[in-house]
Amino acid sequence: MIVSKRALGILSLLMLLLGSCAPVVVQEPTQLTPAEGKGFRLTQAAEVALATGYSTTLRANTTWQLVGTVPQGEVYRTRDQVVTLEGAHIHEGYIVVDQRALVGFYLPVERTFSPVAPAKPLSMEP
Amino acid sequence: MRIRAGTVVAIVASVLLAACATSGPKFSEMTASMSPAKPDMGRIYFYRTTVLGAAVQPGVRLNGEVVGKAVPNGFFYVDSPPGNYQVATETEVERKLTFTLEAGQVRYVRLNISMGFFVGHVYGELVDETKGLKDIADLHYTGEPRTP
Repeated sequence: MIVSKRALGILSLLMLLLGSCAPVVVQEPTQLTPAEGKGFRLTQAAEVALATGYSTTLRANTTWQLVGTVPQGEVYRTRDQVVTLEGAHIHEGYIVVDQRALVGFYLPVERTFSPVAPAKPLSMEP
Repeated sequence: MRIRAGTVVAIVASVLLAACATSGPKFSEMTASMSPAKPDMGRIYFYRTTVLGAAVQPGVRLNGEVVGKAVPNGFFYVDSPPGNYQVATETEVERKLTFTLEAGQVRYVRLNISMGFFVGHVYGELVDETKGLKDIADLHYTGEPRTP
């Protein structure tokens, strides 16, 4: 198939423009029940791929404190780094942990849950 | 009348550079005289480092209210009560940023520019304090005039 340089140029430009239209961050309704008194330290960094095509990294040696529970797991936040979920919009997120694995994020402004699939095992210590 | 190409280039360059020039004191010069937010308030810094797309300087909205402009090499700040916040800019494509603010907390919102269909658009990114302080050090204050 012969494709002209001009057509290739237009196609590249369109792909570049469409690339800027990221999908929205998937959110499910959830209910946070406040809790506290537990925490852990992340011993290894964890890079989490999001369904939007972006990723977010949880840094090693960050300390996480329990802020509540949702049906999907326990919700932790840290003051050691900013965690955001990027898609069509950008949202601050807290992590949701179940059986020592990250299962998703709790979005405190939207009060929703954003799942991560598959769950990401975390290296943690008390 | 004929105008030389060099003259045109010089005029365009001077207009573009004028658009890039940002006046006002640098953050590093202001820190000593800058009072912290009241104890029951938090502070949000907004800043833009790049001169890329300097002609695009949209208003920055915080929960729907315009609080400043995304000026290249500039920063401003807003003291606000604790709560949920949404940042958006008045550009072709609206990309919102949502985050929480607590009393005594300081947040840093970096204003980035990305390609739009017709013009570049500006969006907010929440960054760590370490990065925010590093980025903002040499930027110029573009907010309301301050009295000592």
